[in-house]
Amino acid sequence: MAREAAARMRVPSRLGRRGWLLAFVLFAAALAWLQLGLSVRDAVPGDSGRGVLSLFVGGAFAPALTYESDVPEGTAPLLVKVALAVVRTVVFAAAGMSLSLVVGLLLGFLGATSWWADDGECTCNAWWRKVRCYAMPAIYGGVRVVIALMRSVHELLWAVLFLAAFGLNSFSAVVAIAIPYGGTLAKVFSEMLDECPRDSARSLRAIGADSVQVFAWGLLPRAMPDMSAYAFYRFECAIRSSAVLGFFGYPTIGYYLKLSAENLHYREVWTYLYALCALVLLFELWSSQLRRRIVIR
Amino acid sequence: MSARLDELRRAQPKSRFMRASLWALAALTAYAWLSGTVEVGELFTERRLTNLRRFLTVDVVPQPARDGVWVWSDIFAWVRDVLDARGWAATLATLSISVVAIVLAGAMSWLLAPLAASNLATRRPFDADPGQERATWRALRFVVRGVMIVSRAVPEYVVAFLLLAVLGPDNAWPAILALAIHNGGILGRLGAETIENLEPGPLRSLSAIGAPRRAILATGVFPLALGRYLLFFFYRFETCVREATVLGMLGVVSLGYWIQDARAKQYYDEMLLFVALGALIVLVADLVSALARRHVRGAS
Repeated sequence: MAREAAARMRVPSRLGRRGWLLAFVLFAAALAWLQLGLSVRDAVPGDSGRGVLSLFVGGAFAPALTYESDVPEGTAPLLVKVALAVVRTVVFAAAGMSLSLVVGLLLGFLGATSWWADDGECTCNAWWRKVRCYAMPAIYGGVRVVIALMRSVHELLWAVLFLAAFGLNSFSAVVAIAIPYGGTLAKVFSEMLDECPRDSARSLRAIGADSVQVFAWGLLPRAMPDMSAYAFYRFECAIRSSAVLGFFGYPTIGYYLKLSAENLHYREVWTYLYALCALVLLFELWSSQLRRRIVIR
Repeated sequence: MSARLDELRRAQPKSRFMRASLWALAALTAYAWLSGTVEVGELFTERRLTNLRRFLTVDVVPQPARDGVWVWSDIFAWVRDVLDARGWAATLATLSISVVAIVLAGAMSWLLAPLAASNLATRRPFDADPGQERATWRALRFVVRGVMIVSRAVPEYVVAFLLLAVLGPDNAWPAILALAIHNGGILGRLGAETIENLEPGPLRSLSAIGAPRRAILATGVFPLALGRYLLFFFYRFETCVREATVLGMLGVVSLGYWIQDARAKQYYDEMLLFVALGALIVLVADLVSALARRHVRGAS
C-alpha cells in the first residue's frame, strides 16, 4: 500500500515551475545582451569619462555651499536657491498627489466590483437588478480600460505632451503627475477594496443596506489603512517624479541639477543631490512611521 | 444607541502623531494650491488655448492627412515607414534594456538582501539561543540598508543623466545601470523584508541539525523566499519598461530617444506615435508580468 502511494506521488521535475521561469528570464537577458551588443568593457569609463568621474566623486565629499562661478550681483545665495527648489519640488508633488487622490478614489470606486457584484441574492427591485447586471459591468470594464491607458503613459511623457500642447505651464506639470498616479492609485485602490475581508459587507447587506451603504460602511473602513499607506508611498514617488520634471524646464530640483551639471559644477550637483536625498528620506521616514501606526495586521 | 456609539467613538485609539500628520498633509496641500507656484488660471489664457488648438488640429494630425484628406492607406503607409525606420528597433532596444537591467537589479538584491535581513545577518541565525548580538553585525546591516536606501532615493532619470556624462551615449549602459541601481535598492529592501517575514520553523530545524549559515541560506531561505521575491521581481520589471522608455530622452537609443528627437524637430505627429508605441509596450509588459506572477502563485 505504502509503496503504491509513494509511486503515485508526483516526482517533481528538476527545475520546477519557478526554476523554468528563472531559466526563461536568464535566457531573455542573454538575448537582450546580444541584441544591445553590450560588452563589459563599455561599462568602464574612457579617458574623458574618467576625468568627469573624478570631478564627480570629488564633489561628493565637498558639496558646494556657495556658487562655483561668479554670479551676477543680487543673485540669491546658493543655499536659498536649493531651499526654494526643494519647496517647489514638494509643492508640485503635493498638488499632483492631491489631484490624483481625487481621481484615484473616484475611479477606484467605479473599478471595484465588491460593492455591487457581491454573491448572494439581491433583495432589491427589478430596476436595480438590471443596472447591476448590465450597466455596472459596462462601467466597470470602461473604467478598467481608462485606468490602464492613464497608467501606460509615463508622467514625463504626459509632461512632454502637455509641453507641446500648451507650452510651459506649471498646472500642466501637476496634471502630468496626476494622470498616471491617479490611474495607479485607482488600480491599487480597487484591488484593495475587492480583496479586503467581506464579512462586515455581507452582514450589512443582510440587514438591508444598499450598495453604496455597503461600500461606505462595510468595505471602505476595512480597506482604508492599506489604502492610506499606499497613497503615502506614492507621495514619496511623486516627490521623485516632481524632481525629475525639472529636467523639462519646471523649477524643481532637477532643473537646477541639470544646469549645474551642464556647467560641470559637480560640487553644486552634489548639493542638489544631497537635498533630494534628504527630502526623499524625510518622507520615507514619515511614511514608515505612519504605516507602522495605521496598518493593522 | 447613540450614547453607545459616542462611547465607542471616544474609545477609538487616537495618536497625536497621526493627527499632526493629517494636519500637516492638509496644510501642505493647501499651500501647494494657494502659494501661486501652480498657475491653474494661466493654462486657460488665450495664448495657451490657441497653442492647444493648433496642436490638436494641425500638429498631431499624421503627415499625409495634413491637407485635410484622410486617406487611410496613406496613413498606414506613413505609420509603417516610421515604425520600420525607427519604431521597431527602438521598441526592441527598450525591452532589452529593461530585461538586462532587471536581471542585474535582481543579482544586486540577492547579494544585499541576506545581509540586510535582521534574522539572517546575526551571530547565530535561527539558533534557539541567539546569544548576545555583536555590534559588527548590526553595523553591517546598517551599512547595507543605507546603501539600499540611497540607491533608491535618487530617481533613475537623474542617475542615468549623471552616468551619461561619465560613460558617454554610445551604448545602453547608462540607462541599464541607472535602472539596475534604483531597482536593486528597491528589490533588496523587499527581499530583506521577505526574508524577515519567513516562517522561522523550517529554518530553525535546519539550524538545529547543525547547518552552517550558507547551507541555511541555500536550502532554506532562498527556496522559501523565492515565490514572494519573484512577485516583486516581475512587478519591478513592469516599472523598468516604463522607465526604460523615458530614459531614452537623455540620449540612449530607446523609444524615448525618438520621442525627444521628434519633439526637437516639432514632428508632433511622429512624437504621438512613439508615445502610443511606448504605452503599448507598457501594456504588454503589464500583461507578461501578470502572467508570470500568476505562474509563480500557481507554483507556491
